[in-house]
Amino acid sequence: MSIEIKDVRYMVNDTCLLDKITFDINPGEITTILGPNGAGKSTLIKLISGDMKPSSGEILYDKILLNKLTLENKSHRRSVLSQSQNINFDFTVRDIVEMGWINDFNNNFEKILNEVSKECSIVDIIERKFRYLSGGEQKRVHLARTLLHIKSIENIYENKYILLDEPLANLDIFYEFKLIKIIRKLAKNGLGILMILHDINLAYKFSNKIALMLDGKVKYFGNPEKVINQKNLEKIYGLKMKIFTKPFFIKYY
Amino acid sequence: MGTNIVKVGKNFFRYINNIQLKLILVLIVFTLICMTLGFFFGSFDISIKKFIHGNLSQLEKEILYQIRIPRVLLSAFVGAALGLAGACLQGLFRNPLADPGLIGVSAGAALGAVLSIVVFSNLLEHHFLGIYLLPISSVTGALVVILILYYLSKGFIYDGVTYMLLIGIAINALASVGIGILTFVSDDAQLRGLTFWMMGSFANAQWNLVIPTIFLIFISIIWIIPQSRKIDIIQIGELEASRLGINVIKLKFVVIMSSAIMVGVSVSISGMIGFIGLVIPHLVRLIGGVNHNYLLIGSAFLGSSLLVLSDILSRITIQPAELPVGLVTSAIGAPFFLWLVLRIKKS
Repeated sequence: MSIEIKDVRYMVNDTCLLDKITFDINPGEITTILGPNGAGKSTLIKLISGDMKPSSGEILYDKILLNKLTLENKSHRRSVLSQSQNINFDFTVRDIVEMGWINDFNNNFEKILNEVSKECSIVDIIERKFRYLSGGEQKRVHLARTLLHIKSIENIYENKYILLDEPLANLDIFYEFKLIKIIRKLAKNGLGILMILHDINLAYKFSNKIALMLDGKVKYFGNPEKVINQKNLEKIYGLKMKIFTKPFFIKYY
Repeated sequence: MGTNIVKVGKNFFRYINNIQLKLILVLIVFTLICMTLGFFFGSFDISIKKFIHGNLSQLEKEILYQIRIPRVLLSAFVGAALGLAGACLQGLFRNPLADPGLIGVSAGAALGAVLSIVVFSNLLEHHFLGIYLLPISSVTGALVVILILYYLSKGFIYDGVTYMLLIGIAINALASVGIGILTFVSDDAQLRGLTFWMMGSFANAQWNLVIPTIFLIFISIIWIIPQSRKIDIIQIGELEASRLGINVIKLKFVVIMSSAIMVGVSVSISGMIGFIGLVIPHLVRLIGGVNHNYLLIGSAFLGSSLLVLSDILSRITIQPAELPVGLVTSAIGAPFFLWLVLRIKKS
């Protein structure tokens, strides 16, 4: 049981944005997409979350065709963090996070809200107005909402997934590290995680699978040890690269 | 497979706090007081004491039941419609400066009305449709605009909001060209009727026009209020809301259709009344908060009470004549709007 992406292609006006995409996202694993700008990473996330339909090929959630799921059904199976938009009214941080709660309000709500707020370090800003926060703070709030969303669903289905489009953008190195630990904990608890990163070191260290994308195709897919090497990275990014196996500052990792 | 856990939009009272509930209660009482004032004050004052004792003269009864009550009811419902439509559209477009005029619906209704004043009154039999000619032609104008919006924005798809606003601007421009041409070719009597209509007035409130208007506005209010929580959630983005299980396309359909009906009907019977839709939601946010469960209801009642008050002002300032109520609302609304813009700029 997993998300299966089978030979997916996505065309817009005869331009092929994605082609021959095939891989699985397994529960309990972190799958990371790496690749240069314009490789089609965000488009792929939109297809997998079910916002758009692939032109051909299919995407299955636990053997069920994604196209067959209603909006509500999809919302029970996955939560998504994307590049967020401005909010023009004075909603508080608590208001925004609460919007992720798609279940009835039971006793679990306050408990999970507190837990998520602590994890994302937004306890101190929870009563502040969202739109006056800094970019990094807003990112953490949306992350909290995404986590609350997936945690608000009780275990009706066996598998739940989180799709994260650049979850570390705008975050300083402290929160980057903290967040990666949260994501790893979620994976340990059995969630399937797909994320887009730009930090090759973090991806290498924390992912179970890595997909290297270029020009709308997944060029390499597999374990980090197998995929991340000098030859592949140079080909993907078009830069001369050198891999150091023991960077001196990486004691956190 | 079947599941019943997610019902966004349930738990109405969870998203409205006690202070907001009390504020709404205050607004309801305020509206009722304004309406009562509207019944008894005007160019001809009716004594409340005599009304309570039940010894009004025949003339006073006539004025109260045939002129004052329909007029006050009409202004109350039109105020509610404009305030509510403004709040909904600002929420839907996630833009604090949106108002019902913005998507071109008022302009479409205005063009329909002007057409009926200048062209149809000449072409058609004098008694064709009677007093209903203007409202019907005006509502048709509003509906045509909605259909254009619907088709050009491909059925209100995602991320079509900016696109829709631009279409609205184009429609507004086209409609004002039409109105301009018609104004140019109209004769003196038509010109006078048209000018007064454009400035907005409740002077021709009659029961047989007021009842269908109230009915349509009431239906739209009932349709739109249950969407409040969804309009809250759409603030984080259309795509994000749809990922939480909200049918954004349907939400847009409901909000735009019901706003268009409310605005179209209001404009058709009372002309152009500016600034209510734009300013009222801001006032309501200022006193109580931004969540739409509170905002929509609050805007309806504040819009209602303030428009009834404006109408009283329009009746008593230059007695025995009447000031067009659109002038009164613009005179009060425009400075407030300016203050609002400066305030937004500061923050």
